[in-house]
Order: sequence, then structure tokens, then C-alpha cells
Amino acid sequence: MKVFIDPPNSLILFDLVERFGHEPLSSMAAIQNKIDNVEVDMPPMNLTLEDVIKGLKYAGVEVPSGVRGRLSLWGPMIEEADAAIIMLDPPFNFGCVGCERSNEMVKYLIKRRGIPSISVNYPNNEEEAKATVGQIKEFLEGLK
Amino acid sequence: MTIKIAQLSCGTEYSSVQYEIEKAARSVGAKVVYPDVSYADINDAVKRFGFNPRSPQLKLMIARAISLADGKYDADAVFITTCFRCAEAALVRNELRRFIQENTKLPVVTYSFTERLKASQLLTRMEALVTIVTRKELLARERQTGLTAGIDSGSSTTKAVIMENNKIIGKDWTTSGDVVQSAQLVLENAMKEAGVELKQIEAMGTTGYGRFTLGKYFNAKLVQEELTVNSKGAVWLANRQRGEATILDIGGMDNKAITVRDGVPDNFTMGGICAGASGRFLEMVCKRLKIPIEDLGALADKGDWRNAKMNSYCSVFGIQDLVTTLGEGKSFEDVAAAACHSVAEQVYEQQLQEIDVRHPIIQVGGTSLISGMVTAVGEVLGERPIVPPNSQYIGAVGGALLSSGFL
Amino acid sequence: MSEERETRIFMISPESMITPDQLVRTIHAMGKEVTVKETCYGCLVEGSRDLVKDILAEVRKKHPYEIFSKVRAYPAGDPRRCRAQHGTRPGYAQLEAEWQALPWVQNGLMCADKGEKYKLPEEKKQFSAEKFKKICEAKE
Repeated sequence: MKVFIDPPNSLILFDLVERFGHEPLSSMAAIQNKIDNVEVDMPPMNLTLEDVIKGLKYAGVEVPSGVRGRLSLWGPMIEEADAAIIMLDPPFNFGCVGCERSNEMVKYLIKRRGIPSISVNYPNNEEEAKATVGQIKEFLEGLK
Repeated sequence: MTIKIAQLSCGTEYSSVQYEIEKAARSVGAKVVYPDVSYADINDAVKRFGFNPRSPQLKLMIARAISLADGKYDADAVFITTCFRCAEAALVRNELRRFIQENTKLPVVTYSFTERLKASQLLTRMEALVTIVTRKELLARERQTGLTAGIDSGSSTTKAVIMENNKIIGKDWTTSGDVVQSAQLVLENAMKEAGVELKQIEAMGTTGYGRFTLGKYFNAKLVQEELTVNSKGAVWLANRQRGEATILDIGGMDNKAITVRDGVPDNFTMGGICAGASGRFLEMVCKRLKIPIEDLGALADKGDWRNAKMNSYCSVFGIQDLVTTLGEGKSFEDVAAAACHSVAEQVYEQQLQEIDVRHPIIQVGGTSLISGMVTAVGEVLGERPIVPPNSQYIGAVGGALLSSGFL
Repeated sequence: MSEERETRIFMISPESMITPDQLVRTIHAMGKEVTVKETCYGCLVEGSRDLVKDILAEVRKKHPYEIFSKVRAYPAGDPRRCRAQHGTRPGYAQLEAEWQALPWVQNGLMCADKGEKYKLPEEKKQFSAEKFKKICEAKE
């Protein structure tokens, strides 16, 4: 099953989703799609004005362009996803998920789609990690 | 030598404008760089700075600024930019600009962009950053020598000045039409007044939107953006070459607010997204009032802006307000005062929030001839700006002054 | 995602005794036609998706708990994201942060495989105003 991960660039979530037999939907994949497009030459990400305009599907023009650009990438993945894992309070997310307003909207879009989803804590110690990994494993195994 | 412009930003890549920023930098011989920071640096930096934004990219901006301030990363200038309409980013952007100014000697410019930003819009700003770094000695020039000319090809008007031995000996302006023809006209008239011929002119400086075309046409020694040239012209005209000042230029299309130290800008903003509050709006007002723009200032001085409601951000709605107000039977004087007040308020709300106003405030450009506009700026800022003689000729004077450095 | 290329980060948990050099040699020894680049945290493997996935499967079999992996959007050394061109790429600090948490995740995985029970983190509740008031009054 296709599992959207939030933060969409998380190494830990990507790894666990694959490890437990599912396909993670991540920002890396979305960005690779952009940068491998040889018809566009807009480094570093090949994200174009048209992409930002596509973001209007998720947020109005009064919302900053960076939010709309981000949603134009994550939005379609959330629509494609069969399930989602949300990691709460990660220490820092950069690059792909540097805008907190966009991050909030991503969580809301997951909820609005109504797909199976689970929220887990970012582990801050061994005990918490046991719970986070355990919860994710059960959730992913339950999807089969 | 490639100038390194450190970019502190949020949202540029996802707004499809990073490419445009880098293109603008490249076209003026600069390179955009990001100061290196580690995870631990970011934690420490946010604590030290004392502003903890929710958005991680803004935390990264803070860490990068601190890395510059601590001298851990070497750059020549700083470009701080975030998404238009993002409140959190606007707060961080301005506070980081202040921090950079207080803790480094690097010239800094701030900008809020939309997805429609194109490299050409940034060119003047990037060019100014590069000029400040590469032409330090030239910008330190305080006296004009020899016989030189300066042409300022602006969006609304074209101005020319002839200077000899640190004095203006000829000048003229006209509304901008064809770039070259307008320049030829004002240059000829200025030369006539000065009693000199083109072949006698030892050096020429061009600035403003048409600077490249004119530079090529007249084989000018100096072709330079208007931010640094106007600053030099303004401090020369106001006789404030030393110390600090704020230069305010409400132009035909974009407003500039520049802080200078010894005549050299260290921070500047230029309106970019909206031209609602510019000289063009005042032109529209005059058209509707059916009065020449020369009369607007005196008319406004007689009126009271409080009697006429005109507080829209947009020039179209502004004119709509004006029509409504006139329809209600308000006087031309009050409406003229309200129009000036509305421009002054917007300049205060937009440009002047992006710089730390230093004193004195020198108001220049064509709109500084509209006395009601100067009154309005003074009222909004609580201090009447200095308007030097020939204040509309700043760019041309700056061009003539700086080009004499090539003699 | 493009079917042609997959660039994959292999990150070694900081508590592991495996070195990036050992990991690279292990992958080379698999004899696949991929590019392997040693990094401070492990290595980057680039090649066709199928081959890279095979490598992932083998690495997982050999080191089930100590090595973590995710794909990377940009090819190795891509000037658009190369550190030498601009400075660190935007996701660098995040990778650094996640790297620090890997020993806990490693342990979590081992426990999960053993079927150990875990305790769900307690939800933080706000201290009641009544109790706080009582404390304040008691101190007076």
C-alpha cells in the first residue's frame, strides 16, 4: 500500500514503511520527479510558476507562494495515498518541510481525506522509540 | 572577482523564484551562497537570537545570520528574502536585517517576493549590493571635479545635469518617452544652459531604468543603478556627505528608502510588488482633479486630510475613494491633502518598516517638489524631511559626481 | 518516480560498530553495477532502481537493525544540491537530527521483533488551576 509520511522527508519513517513492506510516498520522490524532467531548466528544483499556480487548489492567493508551492507537491501525494503516518514534534524539518503553515495544512489534508492514519511521537529516548516503532509496525502490519 | 551574496531566505525554492534570484546575481557578477550551519548551530542560534519561530526554515535563516555575524562564514553582502504575505517570516526578515546591520558591516537588502518574481526585478538591488562592495573608493568620492554630465532615465521623467568643479552649471528634465530621445533633449538643454558642447564633457554617468541603453549610446564612463547613485546625489545636494541619513525617494513607479553612512548605502528597500503608493498615483489624482501636478502640493497644504477618506492600498480603489469623496462635496484641497497623506502612510507602512530610519531624513525625487507630499511625510514620521535644492536631480547629480572619479 | 535512477542514502546508526568503509566494501562485494560513494554517515548508492533495491534487501538481511535507508531526490554530486557550490543542502540538519535518534529506533526495532510490549506515552495534561491555586495559597 502507498503510505504518505509526514514529515515527508523523514529518514526514519521512510525506512520503517519500506521495512514493513509498504511503499512510502515521500518528498524525495516528488522532487525527483521534478528534477529529472529534462524539459525544465529551473534549478535547483525545477519547480515552476505553473506548479505554484497548481497549489491554488489547496490554498487561496492570499496564502504565501511558498505554502502553495509546497502543497502542489504534497497535495497530490496525499490524494494518492492509501494510508498515512504522522510523526509529531520532530526536532527540525528543513528544506522540504521548512514552513510550519504548510506542515499544519498537510496534517489537515490527511485528516480530511479520511484514510487510515496514525500519529506517533518523535522519539526522544529509548522508551519512546520502543513505542513509536511498535505503533508504526502494528499500524503497517494491520494495513495488509 | 565574484561577489558572494549570502542568501537568508524562506520559501524561494517552493515559490519557483530561486532560479530568478540566482540569475539576477549572476548577471551582475555575483554568486548566491548559503552560510553553512549544523544542527547544533541552529539550536544554539535560535536560543541566542531569542526569537523562536515555528517554521524550521526561519530557524535556519537565524542560524545562517549568526554564522555571518560571528565571522564563521565569509560573504560580501546579504540578501534577506521571504514570501510576501507571511507574517512570521516578515517579523524574522526584519529582525535579521537589523541584526546583520548591528553585527556586521555587510550591505543588506530585504525583499518579499511572490511566485511571479523575475530576475529583472531584482537586478537593481543585486547590482547595488555589488556596487557597494566593488566600488567602495568611488562611492567615497565627495567632490565633483572637471566637466561632467549625469543622466537619470527614470520611469516617469528623464533628467540631465552638467557639473563643473563641484557646481551644477546646467540642468533640465522632461517626461520620459523614448529613452534616447528624452535623454538627448534634456542633455542638450542642460548643455545650452551651461554653455558647453558634448565634446567638452570629460565624463558621463547614466542611471535609472534606461541606464544601459544610454550608457552605450553616449559611451558613458559610469553606468550604475539608481540606489547608490541617487544616494550620492542626495547627500551631495543636502550637504550631508558625512554621518548618517535616510534617503526617501517616492518615485514614479517604485519607492526607495535608503539608509546611508557617509553617503554609502548600507541598507535599502525598493517597492516591488505594488505601486499603489507612488508618484504615479499622484499623477492619477491630478488627472481626476484636472489640475497640473505642479499645483498639487500647494493645494494639499491648504487642505486637511482628515476631512476626506482615502486610505486604500490600491491606486484604483484610491481613485474610487477620491471620486466618492468629491461626490460628497469635499473640497479639492482636502482631497489633495488626503491623496498625499495616503501615499505617505503607505510608504511608512511598507518601505520604512524595512529599514531603521536614521536622521536626518532627506526627501528627494520629483515628488519631493510637491510640498503637500513633504508635509504628509513629515506628519507621518513626526519630523519634516530635508528637501535639498534641485532634489529631483539626485540621480543626474550622482551620475555627474561619480563619473568624475574616472577622470 | 523515475524508473531509471535511484539514489539511496544508507545511514549507519551511531551506536553501530560498522564503519562507512566496511559498508561500502560490503556493497561492492555484491558485484552490482551501481555507484557507491562513501560518506561520513554511511554511503550513497546510485544505479537502476531494481539493483539498488536488491542491495537494500541484502544490506537489511546482513544488518537488520543498524543501517537505515531512504531515497534521495538528487543524484550524487548534482551541482544543484552540491555542498561545494552553495553550502549545505536544506535537508542536511534534519538528517543530522534523525541520525542522533537512530540508536533508539534500532533498539525499538529489536524489541518489536521480539514482540516486547511497549508503553504508550502518556498524554501531557495541564496542571489544574485549582491545584495550582492551592499551592500558591499554601506558600503564602
